[in-house]
Amino acid sequence: MKKSKFLLTSFMALFIAFGMTSCSEKDEPDPTPDDPTLIQDYHFDLWVALDKHGGMGRDVHTLVRSINSLEADQPEITFQGEGTEVNSILSLETILKGAYYYQVPVSGDRFAKYIIKDNHIQVIKERRFQTNTYSTRKYTHAWINDNTLVIMAANGDASKIIWTKLNTDDMTIISEGTLDVKMPEGGELFTTSGILTYRASDDKLFYFYYAKTGKAFGGKRVTPMMTAVINPATMAVESDTPCFLDCEMVGTAYGELLQTTTFIDDNNNLYIACVTDDTDGKEHSHLLKIPANSTSFDKSYDGFTAGGKLISVMYVGDNKVVAYARDDSAGTKIDDFSHYYTVIDVISKTSTPITYNGQSLAYSSGRFSSRMAYVNHKAYIGIDAKDQNPQIYIYDVEKNQTTLGATMKSGYYFEQIRVVENIK
Amino acid sequence: MKNWIVILALFLSHLSLQAAKHAYTLSGKVTDTHNDPVSFATLSFNNAKFATTTDENGLFQIKLNKGKYLCKVTAISYSAHEFAIDLTKDTIVNIEMKVDAVLLQGVNVYGKSIGKQLEEGAFSVSAVEIAPNLNKMVTLNDLIDRTAGVKVRREGGAGSDFDLTINGMSGNSIRYFIDGVPLETKGSGLTLDNVPLNTVERVELYKGVVPSYLGSDALGGAVNIVTRKKRQNFLDASYGIGSFHTHSGDITRQYYIPGTAIVVQPTFSINYSKNNYMMKGVEVWSEEEDRYIYTNKRRFHDNYFSLFVQMEIGVNDVKWADKFFVSASYNKLNKDIQTGAMQNKVYGEASRYSHSFNVSARYNKRWDKVSTRLTLSHTWDHSETVDTAYRKYSWDGSWMPSSGNEMNNRARTIRVYKRPLTVLNAGADYELNEHNSFAFNYMFNRQGNDRHDKADRSFESSNDVVTKHILSLTYSQSFFNKKWQTSYFVKSYINSLSIKQTDDFTITGSDQIDRNKTKSYWGAGIGSRYSLCEPFAIKGSYEHSVRLPLSRELLGNGTTVYPNLTLSPETSNNYNLGIFGTCNFCEVHQLSYEANGFVRHVQNYIRATVSEREGMMQYVNEPAIDIKGFDVEVSYLWNSSLQLTVNGSWSDARDLKKFKTDGNPSATYKNRVPNRPWFFGNFDASYTFRDLLMKKDRLRIGAEYQYIHWYYLNWEAFGATSSKARIPTQNITNLSLSYSWHNDRYNISVECNNIFDRLAYDNYMLQKPGRSFGAKFRIFIN
Repeated sequence: MKKSKFLLTSFMALFIAFGMTSCSEKDEPDPTPDDPTLIQDYHFDLWVALDKHGGMGRDVHTLVRSINSLEADQPEITFQGEGTEVNSILSLETILKGAYYYQVPVSGDRFAKYIIKDNHIQVIKERRFQTNTYSTRKYTHAWINDNTLVIMAANGDASKIIWTKLNTDDMTIISEGTLDVKMPEGGELFTTSGILTYRASDDKLFYFYYAKTGKAFGGKRVTPMMTAVINPATMAVESDTPCFLDCEMVGTAYGELLQTTTFIDDNNNLYIACVTDDTDGKEHSHLLKIPANSTSFDKSYDGFTAGGKLISVMYVGDNKVVAYARDDSAGTKIDDFSHYYTVIDVISKTSTPITYNGQSLAYSSGRFSSRMAYVNHKAYIGIDAKDQNPQIYIYDVEKNQTTLGATMKSGYYFEQIRVVENIK
Repeated sequence: MKNWIVILALFLSHLSLQAAKHAYTLSGKVTDTHNDPVSFATLSFNNAKFATTTDENGLFQIKLNKGKYLCKVTAISYSAHEFAIDLTKDTIVNIEMKVDAVLLQGVNVYGKSIGKQLEEGAFSVSAVEIAPNLNKMVTLNDLIDRTAGVKVRREGGAGSDFDLTINGMSGNSIRYFIDGVPLETKGSGLTLDNVPLNTVERVELYKGVVPSYLGSDALGGAVNIVTRKKRQNFLDASYGIGSFHTHSGDITRQYYIPGTAIVVQPTFSINYSKNNYMMKGVEVWSEEEDRYIYTNKRRFHDNYFSLFVQMEIGVNDVKWADKFFVSASYNKLNKDIQTGAMQNKVYGEASRYSHSFNVSARYNKRWDKVSTRLTLSHTWDHSETVDTAYRKYSWDGSWMPSSGNEMNNRARTIRVYKRPLTVLNAGADYELNEHNSFAFNYMFNRQGNDRHDKADRSFESSNDVVTKHILSLTYSQSFFNKKWQTSYFVKSYINSLSIKQTDDFTITGSDQIDRNKTKSYWGAGIGSRYSLCEPFAIKGSYEHSVRLPLSRELLGNGTTVYPNLTLSPETSNNYNLGIFGTCNFCEVHQLSYEANGFVRHVQNYIRATVSEREGMMQYVNEPAIDIKGFDVEVSYLWNSSLQLTVNGSWSDARDLKKFKTDGNPSATYKNRVPNRPWFFGNFDASYTFRDLLMKKDRLRIGAEYQYIHWYYLNWEAFGATSSKARIPTQNITNLSLSYSWHNDRYNISVECNNIFDRLAYDNYMLQKPGRSFGAKFRIFIN
């Protein structure tokens, strides 16, 4: 009994001492970590669909659930009575930066900034279109700095490219206009949105697009992928050149709202995932590079030669890219279990499928459901495989090691993992 | 279970055979003062202890035990006729009835209308008599929406798209007919919203099992509009005016050329509405507040105009035909488009125009025991959807320049659809004897879909063709003095598709289909009714049915509905079981009731989905759906003056899709199917005063209340409740007052709909009108 009392007293003393220590501002750990790229306070938003996989204009019943951790010790993730139903406001195709989602929402008449919190979508700020108008999910975007967003797309009859520059603090329209690119000879329509990206090192916007013949669907591409280099301050086109390879971007309609197709490495080289229709009748992807301080492609470089099609590429540092790719021999339809995750080394130009315990990860379905997120040197990938519950794996970039993450209850179409900073 | 059925059948047979013991036959013919047969008159003996009805030729026959009887003969539009008879041998009597102008507009207390007799037939059917509502400013949709088990979902005001649900099956599972011929033959612009009311006698609503003579591939049921068949000269003209600049006018004339068998029937109908009702709580951008604010604004681009003109000419009862009519009709519809599939998609200039021209001929002839019918119809249907404004409108009517058109932010479009339709319906009935008959029916239906665009050069023209052949054979039995009636039928469906369109393949699935294919399907069913006594009868029916996708579902509507070329036919096993009866007591009281239960097992259920993102709709297949439910209606009538009707409907549709498209288990398995009303009811009360201001005048005061329970837009079980989109509960009350005088020659009515100005939605974020007023004047000369 005495022993028990002693232990209890000691424990209480320790607890009080610990509590006092915790309250001391002086001894609080430094909130700024050594690595400024580390995000301290964040959560994951998991996007799932109930009817079918999203993308390509498919209308799906979409739910979003916020989860603090995707580690293996988490309970099985379910959406039964949980999560936010977003369809009446938001599209699956979205821009995410920091804590906020940015979209042309389903009303299709505005730009808007949202957060998803406590199972509700909160409007932070909305801005009615002025002159240039955009369709939900059909635009491309680039961040010039932390609060300046450029949105770009073809206009309604796809005869010109329009752009709008927004201040995302208050969503005011800074400026808008039409891009000074001419319809290439033989072309009648521009691609719906193209791909826009920004490289800070030389302060340039790069816009990738192509032209096609007059059928909205089934029109033939008449040019290789074009690259318009744009001055972000004036939006003037400084150069507009065709790619050396007869290719097109792997995603042409939705910019980078569902998957990412461009990235910039630590050395300021810009990469874009492209695809060619080869003589064997199949699509073959390529990872092309515009070297730092250059606006032209390096003709000698192709970072992806593994075959099949790259769907989404995510730069994770240390010259590594986690990619979501398709093995065409396993099927090319949206729902085919033919999609896998691989790590591309942009220096060695090698591609190594991600494994767990020495075993390859199962192929997933969902062409536009890349389910990839990167935070604090870890890549989170979601497998939506046949006869298995959706499963998250965590790829530690520094250790080059994959561990098991959380499991999702079966029955959902697992669409996206998104890392969202918490609002302080 | 089988043994019990046998025992029950034997028991019922025994009862009937007992009743038939030592019976004599009383037969005869009921005619009017012009010696024309009175069809479907009711003869009730000794205060409705025994009853029978006349057939189409006014003939009747009943077996009764020896004894004295007081017989009451009743029929719609005729004064009741009574006579006494002492039956000591087989007897023939001929009865003459007189037209009663007052009763012409109402339903007799004791007389069973044809509709009532249908309801008491083997199939699950409700009949809506139009006569009591002719004076009101209502549409057929408004009337059938008050029927048990039926729900009409509207997208807005007058002329807006609607979807009909019967016993849980979606609108397009329902087929529409006019006198047994598909309503679409009159053109895509003619719907239950603008069929001239004064041409209609009743609307038959078949729930689940559809009789084969309708010769169609209906799955959830059928709506058959039966036009007036009364052989009399008349002129019926009406004009109505209502809120939101609504006007309607109908003129129908029927004229028998003296000394000939020729009858001429011209019809003219016109409707117009601005539909500028108030939209409550819509978003409008406020420059002052630098944000969107919620406010009330009127609709500003929802004009609706429809015109229907028809001339029918033919002969009755000539040597070579019992009926032969040819007709030509023209139908025009102009409709502004105010919103997409949700009200936050606001349009200010997009419009839809359609017109159609139809020629048709119908022929009926009876040879002894064989009666034949033939209908041939061709329709030229042309519609244009114009969306050429590069503008983005707001609810305050303001607009800003846009980079694309209004409806989908793409190129300017003037989309033209030409959908020629040819329908052939042929049938023959053979009456083997008093108890057994056969019926054969063949329906041919060919519809083209020729599309091009006058403005969008990127649009690829195409011409699709959908062809259907539907054959059916029915065998009917009638025993125990028609107390037990049973029909068995088989149907064969052949569907041919020729699809040329290739645009929007990611949405329409045009890249996944066999472009030229022919497939055949089989269906069969049975319907049986046993009438134990007047207050109690039981009926049951079953059908394995197939429904081929409609053009609208498969090919879209050119505006708010995307094509889905991958749609498969729905198949269903439909079971219905119902009881019904009528009790008459103390001469002035009548209580009727009906209760029906149903089960539907549907494969490839075709369901409308709303793309909130695109503001568009599309029909999709749900692999398996299980629907069960019931509806109940009780009606009380006192002294032909006070009428009270209450009904309620409940249904539960569950998704039985076990696996997702990728083969993994589906999360929605056994979940309630979203976006469909599942609990609703109506209460109607009316009182009729007679001889109030002058002789033979009538004043009718009526009130209607409609309740629809709220339901979820999306799957119920998933997502936090607080985040889920709902279609809210509706409580709608309408009042009406109508006055008729001079033997119903003159009629005037006033009404107020949604008197408490409640916010009402049938579809997510598509407001219906609030409080509205209407008045109608009608003149009927015969």
